[in-house]
Formats: sequence, C-alpha cells, structure tokens
Amino acid sequence: MSFSKEDLEEFKLEASEILEIAEKSLFKIESGVDFKSSFDAVFRALHNLKGAAGMMELTSLQNHVHEIETIFMQFKGATAIPKVYVDFFLRGIDGIRTLLAGGEISFDYSPPVVAESAKIELPLSKTAAPDAGASQDNAMDEFVSEGFEMIERVSKALARIEKETPSKEVLNDLYRDVHSLKGASYLFGFSSIGDISHAMESALEPVREGTHAHSVELMNQLFKAIRFLEVEMDGIKKGKVSEENRALAPALVKELGNACRNLKSSTDLVEMKMNTKPAVVANVHSQASSESGEKDSASSIRVPVALLDNLMTLMGEMVLVRNQVLQFSNHSEDLDFLNLSKRLNVVTSEIQGEMMKTRMQPIGNILNKYNRVVRDLSQELRKNITLTLNGSETELDKSLLESIKDPLTHIVRNSCDHGIESPEARASAGKSESGTISIRAYHEGGQVVIEVADDGKGLHRDALLAKALEKGLLTQAQAAGMNDKEVFNLIFAPGFSTAAVVTNVSGRGVGMDVVRTNIEKIGGSVELSSVAGRGTTTKIKIPLTLAIIPALIIRSGSGTFAIPQVKLEELVRVEKSGAEHKIEYLHGAPVFRLRGNILPLVDLNKIMGVKKNGTDSQDAFNIAILSADQCSFGLIVDEIQDTADIVVKPLNRLLRSLQVYSGATILGDGSIALILDIQGISKVAHVGASKTNNKVQRVDQKVSSDFQEYLLVGLNSPTKHALVLGYVNRLEEFKRSAIEISGRNRVIRYGKSILPVLSVSELLGYGTSKLSSEKDTLSVVVIQKGGVFYGLEVDEIIDTLSTDADVDSELTRQAGFFGNLNTPDGLIVAIDPFEIIGLAYPDSVSAGKSDQSAVIPIKGKKKMRPLRILLVEDTVFFRKAVTIILQKEGHEVTIAVDGKEAVEILNRHSEKFDLIISDIEMPRMNGFELAQAVRASQGFSLIPLLALSSRADKKYAEQGLKAGFNRYLEKLKPGLLIETISDLMEGAREAA
Amino acid sequence: MNDVDLKTQESIPELLTTFYVGNEYYGIEVMKVQEVTGTPVVVPVPLAPNFVRGLINLRGQLATALGLRELFGAGEAQVNQQMSVVCRMDGNLVSLIVDQIGDVVEVEGRIFEDPPDTLPPGIRKYVKGIYKMDDSLLSLLDMEKITRELAPNLE
Repeated sequence: MSFSKEDLEEFKLEASEILEIAEKSLFKIESGVDFKSSFDAVFRALHNLKGAAGMMELTSLQNHVHEIETIFMQFKGATAIPKVYVDFFLRGIDGIRTLLAGGEISFDYSPPVVAESAKIELPLSKTAAPDAGASQDNAMDEFVSEGFEMIERVSKALARIEKETPSKEVLNDLYRDVHSLKGASYLFGFSSIGDISHAMESALEPVREGTHAHSVELMNQLFKAIRFLEVEMDGIKKGKVSEENRALAPALVKELGNACRNLKSSTDLVEMKMNTKPAVVANVHSQASSESGEKDSASSIRVPVALLDNLMTLMGEMVLVRNQVLQFSNHSEDLDFLNLSKRLNVVTSEIQGEMMKTRMQPIGNILNKYNRVVRDLSQELRKNITLTLNGSETELDKSLLESIKDPLTHIVRNSCDHGIESPEARASAGKSESGTISIRAYHEGGQVVIEVADDGKGLHRDALLAKALEKGLLTQAQAAGMNDKEVFNLIFAPGFSTAAVVTNVSGRGVGMDVVRTNIEKIGGSVELSSVAGRGTTTKIKIPLTLAIIPALIIRSGSGTFAIPQVKLEELVRVEKSGAEHKIEYLHGAPVFRLRGNILPLVDLNKIMGVKKNGTDSQDAFNIAILSADQCSFGLIVDEIQDTADIVVKPLNRLLRSLQVYSGATILGDGSIALILDIQGISKVAHVGASKTNNKVQRVDQKVSSDFQEYLLVGLNSPTKHALVLGYVNRLEEFKRSAIEISGRNRVIRYGKSILPVLSVSELLGYGTSKLSSEKDTLSVVVIQKGGVFYGLEVDEIIDTLSTDADVDSELTRQAGFFGNLNTPDGLIVAIDPFEIIGLAYPDSVSAGKSDQSAVIPIKGKKKMRPLRILLVEDTVFFRKAVTIILQKEGHEVTIAVDGKEAVEILNRHSEKFDLIISDIEMPRMNGFELAQAVRASQGFSLIPLLALSSRADKKYAEQGLKAGFNRYLEKLKPGLLIETISDLMEGAREAA
Repeated sequence: MNDVDLKTQESIPELLTTFYVGNEYYGIEVMKVQEVTGTPVVVPVPLAPNFVRGLINLRGQLATALGLRELFGAGEAQVNQQMSVVCRMDGNLVSLIVDQIGDVVEVEGRIFEDPPDTLPPGIRKYVKGIYKMDDSLLSLLDMEKITRELAPNLE
C-alpha cells in the first residue's frame, strides 16, 4: 500500500498534536498532577502513534515509539515517575519529532539510572487497570465523542442490514465497532455501556458468521440497545446519568440473548424473507438513525488555513460591499431596498464575527510550549524555576499567535537567565530557592494582554544606567534626570544588553529591541516594570486581530486617510478665536498645551507636502492626539469624518518605504483611504527623535491622572449628577407602595432595618420632580453613613462614568454639592451624598469639631485623637475628597503632590507626622518608591504608611505591603478609610 | 544546435498588447495583462515618487497606478483620456497608465532585436528588446523590471 503526500502530511500534523499532548501530560506527571489520567494520556498517545506509524509504514518510527512505550509501561500503576525518566521520555519525544521531520536518530534505549533516593517503587502487578474516576479531561472527552461516533455508525449499519442483505464488510465493521465500544467503555469504567455492547456483540455473532439470518426481533432489540447507549452516553457527557435508563439494562441484555437464541439458521433465510416484512417499529428506527447518521459525524473538522485566509479576504470584500450598499441605501427611499440592506448589514456583521472566531485559537497552544522551555533552561542554568500559566483559554488570531511566539520566548528566556537568581543567591536574599515565572493572558479593552512576571532580582537601575552610558546611548545629564520607568525602558533601546556574561541562553545578539519591534509590527506594545529585588514584569498588549481594524477617517488637503483607533488617544478641537486653548509657536514649531503638558504638533498637510489651503480658512484646528512608540503628538488634520471598521489592504514595498503609510483601505463609497503609520509619521516629523523620554512622561501622566468612577443619576434638573461610586453601598428599586411614613420621614423597611428615604432633588432645592412621582417604582441609591443606611431617591440611575476629569469646586459652595466635572460629554455636577444626608438629618452631620463622634461613628469605635496626616496624592480630585473625609474626622492634613515632595516635606519638617497616606501611581516618585524611601530613612522610618490606590488588586496590594505599607486600601471608601486609620493607629500605639 | 533552438524560438509567434506613450510604441506579453480599462479614478499617494500616480479601486482590490510617462521621463501628457493596462505581477495588481491603446499584435522572434545602445538609459533598462514591425518599431517592455521599481530592496 502506498500513501499520498497528503496522507503523510495529515499524519505528521496529527502526530505533532499527539506529541504535544504527550509532552503536556509528562509535565503533569512530573508535577504530580492527575498522575493516572496523565499517564493514560501519554500511554494512549504513544500507543496511537505507534499504530499510526505502522499503518503509514514508517518502520523506524514505529520501532522507536514501541521502545519508548515499553519502557513507559513499566510505570503502569505507579504513582510517580522519576525525573530522569521524565527526561528520558522527553528525549524520546524529541526523537519522534526528528524522525517525523525525516531525520535520523540514534537513541539509547537503556533506561536511565535512577538515584537511590529518587527510586519509585513499581507496583508488583502490572495489570492494575486505571479506575474510572481517574480518567478525566481530554481522555474522557475523547471517549465520549468517539463513543457517539461509534454508536452512530452502528445504528447506520443496522439500518442498512434491515433494508438489504448485508455484505460481509458491513457486518464486520458493525461487529468491530460494537467490540471497540465495549472495550473502551470497560476501560473507562462505564460497565453499563460495556455490558450492553457485550450483549450486542454476542447477539450479532451468529449473524456475522453467516450461520443465522437476522430477525425482526433481533433488530428491534438491537435498536433498543442503541437507544439505550445513546441516552447513557449523553448522560456521561453531561455528567448526569439517567437512572431510569440504566434500570433498563438487565432486561435488555436478557432480551438480546433471547433474540439471538430465536434466530433461524440461514437455511431458513429464504422462507423468512417471504414471510416477514420489516416491522413498522424498526422502520421508524431506521429512519431516525439514518437521519442522525447524515449529520456531521464529528463535531469538528480540519480545514486548511489557506482556505480560512481566503474566506477572510472574501469576508473583507463582503464588508466593503455591505458598506457600499448601506451608503447607497442612505439616498434611497425604496422601503424594500432599505429593509434588505438592513438585513444584509446584520447578517454581514454576524458572519464577520463568526468568521473572526474561526481564526481564533487559545493562547494556551503556544503558552504550553514554554513549560518545556523553562524546564530545559532551569536545568541548563541550574536554577529552580516553576512556570505558572494563567488564562490559557484566552483566544487570539492565529496569525498573531504565531508572531508573538518568538518575542515571548525571548522574554521568558530573559526571565530565566537574567531574572531568576541562582538558588544560593535566592536563599541569601531570603527568598524561596525556587523562582517563579508566571505568564498571564487576559482580555482588556479589546486587546489581549500577556504578562510575563518573574520573582527574580528585578532590574537594577544603576547597572542599566551604567550600561547605557557606556554604550553611549545617554549623556550623564540625561541619565541623572530619568525616573525608573524611563531607565527600564532603556532595555528596549537598540544595542542594549545587560547580561554581564553572554550566555548561550540570552544575549545572542538579539535584544529586547527586536522583541519590541516585532510586537509593534503587529500593532502591539510592550511595557516593562520592575521592583529591585522583587522581580520584573513584562506586559505585552496586542490587538485581537489584524485583518479588520477600527479606524478614524479623516480628511486632509491631499485626501482621505485612516488612523487606527489603537493609536488614537483623543481628539481636540481648538477654536482659532478661543483665548483659552491656543496653538503656540516655539521657535516656529507649533505646540499645544494639553492639561499643562506641552504637546508637539504635526501638520498632516505639511507632512504630505500639501500647500496650505484648507486650514487657513477654517476657524478651528482639529487635532488628533496620537501615541507613537517614543512619544505622543498632535496631528493637525483638516476634517474629522467618521469612525469605521476598515479592511486593511497591504501596500507594495515602495509605498511602505515612504514610512507614513501602513496600508490602504476601500471605504464605503468605494473611495480609497490610506492608513497612516503613526510611528512612521512621528519619525518623519522628527517627533521624539531627541526627546526619547517624552512618551514615558506622558504615560506616567496618564496613569497618574487616576480615573475615578462615578455613578450618574438623573435628578429634577437638566444636568446629570454624579456621585463617587465608592460611596455607593447598593442600588435599589422599590415599589412606591412600599414607602411608609415614620414621623415626618419617609421610610422603607429594608431587610431587618428601616431605610430612611430622602429625595435628592428636594434636598438640593430642585423641587419635586414630576417624572419620579409618576413612576410607580423609585430608584434609590443606598449610602451608609455612620453605620446607618440611607436611601437617596433619584429620578433615574443612568450609568457609571469613569473619568479623569478633576472636580472644580470653586463655583459650588452650597451644601450637598461637591463640584463640577468637566467631561467631554458635558458638565456633570458631582454631589456629596453625606452632606445631602446631613441636610435631611442635621443631627448626624458634623456641626463642627465639637461633634466629632457623630460624623462617622463606626459601630462602637471610640473617637480618635486628631492626627497629623501627610497625604500624598497627585490627583486634585482625590486630594480634595480625602482631605474632606479626614478633616471631617478632625485630622490635620498636609498635602504632597507626589512621592518626591513627600520626602522633601518629611525631611524639612522636624515635627513628625502620625500617618502617611499615599497614592501609588504618581509622577516622579510613586507610592512604592516612597514607601521604600520612608522605611529606609533616618528619623521617619516608623511612621505608619497607608496606601490608597485605585489599583487595588491582590498583586498590587502585595507589592505595596512588600514595599513597606502597613495597609493597602482601594480608593475611595470613606468608612473603610476611617476605620482602617483608627485600626492602624491603635496598632501603632500598642506597638509603641 | 543553437541554430535549431533559435529556429524553434523564432517559429513560435507571440501575442503582444500594444499601447502608445507619447510618440513611442510599446508592447507587453498578452498573458501578463489582466485587463484594459478607461481612465480610472486614481487616488494620489502623497510623498510617493512621481511615477506612482496613486491607487485604483479595481472592484474591491487595490492596484498601484504607474504613470509610464513619468517613469520614462516623457513629460506631461498631451492627451486627457488616458488608459490603464492592468497587469498582475506576483499577486499584486499594477496598472500602467498609458496615452492610448493599440491593437493586440502577433510577433515572431525573427523580427526581434536587442535594444540599441543609444536608447536613453532611463528607458533602456525597462526595454527587453525591439520588434521590427513593418511600419514601426515596437519596444517590448520588461514588466519584471518595472514592477521591481515598486519593491526596492530596502529591508
């Protein structure tokens, strides 16, 4: 028999998949997870491969696998496999790969020598069968899907037998399937299926051998059995076996036996045929089963990637046509046509979505490979490194997956080589001897984020700077002014490698700059953060897919252009007559002040070499603020048109070499728009050429301008109102009829307690709103104040809003108001729920310092002595908000805008602070650095430190505590803050 | 041997799509031409060399338009109505903007000659050879060389 090239390719593909499973399972075995099921998986993989290799007539491969399998089988029934054996098997798998690739191997099959201490007792009996419970996961799924396939085939074959005299082949196939099903189900411990298939097998035996003809009775029983198997299999799949069905089994076995005994010998065949017609019951069955037989027999199929790529291209064309039709329909008044185009729109969008999914693959497909990389490296480098993977199921476009493989490998290798220290060094640093590298993948804001974190020695600022100076990448003066983030980013500079010793692991001439280039090539970005002595985290962000991207369509004198949305930070319109925002010229170069930062401006017309004509006549500048890798800049364009999903079409090399275009697209009206290459434009315009740290500052700025979450509510006022989401305890909807009157107050029984209901509109002087009194439900925001819940009635709960807009409280000096938020969507009034409650219940609000205990009397806590608190916070809003909370408690608050200023204040003021409350993300010196500085200081190292951050996940909290914070709180929960402060101070007092 | 080879070559006639740029008569192998269209809408690409006229939307696919006048340094076009000869080269669509389309002609190796040395070097590098037609001389263009202009070795 000979096999076509396709067959061989198919086999290789499958083999490599099998090997991956085997490898993965070996790692599981090594780490002691699910030994039995992993063992079975490896065994099955080897066994299947052996069989397949034999079928493909690849003798050397078959022999090799056989040897490996034999040695592997020694561990059947064991509970672990020694490390040297795992190594041996991994080598064996490598050997298989080599053979598959057409290479030759010389393999030493003598089993490795196991150190006495590591020896594992082999079981005396080698026949111990795996029990049902241990066979899980993949193996189980495989069994179920295979089982269904077999059952389907059997029922199809039975239907055929019923219709016509069966050929020997059909009977043999049928018999084999039933037999395999029996074997497999017994192996997995599903005796019910095993018993029935065994009975079927026995009953079919005489028919197969040709000694007897099948009878109607037998056929009916067989179909009954099939029905039973289907139900049972379904139960196994869903993990819920039907007891009802199972109870049928014994009777079925018996009846099958009877039917078999009643079979007439084949000499009676002719007679029987004349007398009996297939029973109606059987017919129904055969129809049902043949229908199910026509259905896709497998739940997944293999499709060549090229076909998918083609489909994807066609999909792109279809999206274009759709866009064109939609645009055309805008001008049409034909209702039928409008309806059709709408349907076309919906269907196309859906197809597009589904099409995208076909290209998606779980990132685990490549992440799992790093198990091997890390394992090999840790042996080579004599380090103990554990790799943990999170979010392997996160899906990503296949082509992207391929292109992040190498950069990720580089990062992981770097972490192993430079990050994790030797066990000795770790021990002396007080860390556990084995280091951990964790790879985490997750979705965030339409992008996939992959984080590679190690708990190694981290990046060393001075070492990096020294290296950069030595390589001439920096001047002394530049180096002195850089913050840590900027210093870390030096790693990405071309020609930079920090490894003092060039090992063969890393330092192979490709540096992190290549990693960055490769990631950016696919529209992604790389960030790096590190804490000295604690580890390094590399964060890669990549778009979900490349083929269709959201973009902003703009016009400039020379034509229509598209800007990828990922590069777009914001849009600014600057009125030429406006006094406030103005374009200024610095030595002739236009700049723009954006929230206090100077932003370089680039005129697209100038870049494109178009003579000014449009912009001069316009009364405003449209500025698109874009982020390139080195910096942010504003691009002046003539007109901002629309956003659209565009299909990226590549340009030829000549046009790409112009640097300013990354592709082109065809818009809905059939016109062509060039896609701007933002990085390229920044290069052409020399933005950031001299000031490489520009971007870093911007990033800092952006992170530090903390976003605050607000709850937007509607009141009896045209303006939207907002309250800090952190204040909100719950949102409730009550029936108006639930309101009861207690004294002069409206209340609602709320669980066990009574909830006073206050109308915010009335308390703020907006009057009773018509809207709210007409509704028969009322929306209530529940706020906890002083251990008591209050219900604030609002007209409607609109939404939540996350904004970095600062609260301007200059104009609002009324009680209940916090200030104005100037958001892109208009003015929003921020209200202070505590003051509003105070308006209704004056006795519960602070009436001055004499009444401190009433302010926020957290259950039974006694009043605290006034503290001198240093508040370190860069955001105006939080400065105000936290200060207000603290001052209401009677504390004295000193403010520092960042860590550096805090240290200065601490150094300057001889009087000591009782407590430092600090934000984490701040420019110049962040909270972690501040905490380290405080703890390392002379004189004020003992002051309690409280972190108050909007990034309060566990990781940050741990990092904060490590850096020296006593507590780490999420902002902004006033009650919790006060409680924590009093806790902290009590603890401090006791300690003193 | 050589003689035989030449003879067999000569005996195979070849079809050329012909067109005019300025006063000159050019041709390319008919198999390389996908289609000929009238004056297309060309979207200019700023900053591109002047012989790149821009991009053309050819039923949803992008073609790069090359002005042969600009490429050959033939000066501004005298005719308003220009034609586009679309060729598919290595999967990329290239549109040659020419002044006027000629007939499809059959030529033989017998009337073929290398381009004379005196041709302006700017043009000579794109010309494979000359067919001596009865009433004119037809320059056979080297499409590979022309499309190579679009893929300079930069990387």
